[in-house]
Amino acid sequence: MAQEELEIEIDATGKVTVTTKGIKGPACLDVVKALAQALGREDALELTPEYYEAHITGQASAKQHQGR
Amino acid sequence: MSAVVVVTPLIIGGWPVITAAVSAAVASMGFVAVNATQDVQARVSTKNRTEIEVEDSDVFQEGLNQEIVVERDGVRATFSRDARGALKLCMEGEHLSKGELKKLGEELLGRVTQQFVYHKLVNELGERHMNVIEESVGEDRTIRIRVRGA
Repeated sequence: MAQEELEIEIDATGKVTVTTKGIKGPACLDVVKALAQALGREDALELTPEYYEAHITGQASAKQHQGR
Repeated sequence: MSAVVVVTPLIIGGWPVITAAVSAAVASMGFVAVNATQDVQARVSTKNRTEIEVEDSDVFQEGLNQEIVVERDGVRATFSRDARGALKLCMEGEHLSKGELKKLGEELLGRVTQQFVYHKLVNELGERHMNVIEESVGEDRTIRIRVRGA
């Protein structure tokens, strides 16, 4: 399992960008949303391929179980 | 990558926390704290003056003396809590236009916000048992932090 990391940037105006690394699936949202809520107001959220990777894998696995 | 979130910071806190952020920010821009009672009234009338209110802020009411005054090269910046509880910055200076004072004030407030957010972030990460493994400040003053779960 990949090491879970966050990359956080605070620009000169205080705006914050949080990027998750190695956290697959919806779990990554829990982390960034909790931080966003603590720091201010969420302006934008982008889900990247890794998010869907685990989600799709999970769904495929569930379908296989249902098919048996 | 999994998710990217962009957050507009909110300055919400007591005066001591605000003071810490202001102190760190103004020092990085060469401002020094001055006694608020020093001939302020005598100098104000001869200066250009502009006020900036931080909309995304809520400073808790804690006692009467909620004001920080700093100066650099004849420019005076006064941070205070306004009647509605927002953080307010008053910029005064004899040699700068109102536009120049406003621009400088906005830069100062940006640094204050950055410092406030940085300290809040570090506290939040600590509470979540996450460790800072790398930290740097770019030429554009952006703070970059890499964090790893414990």
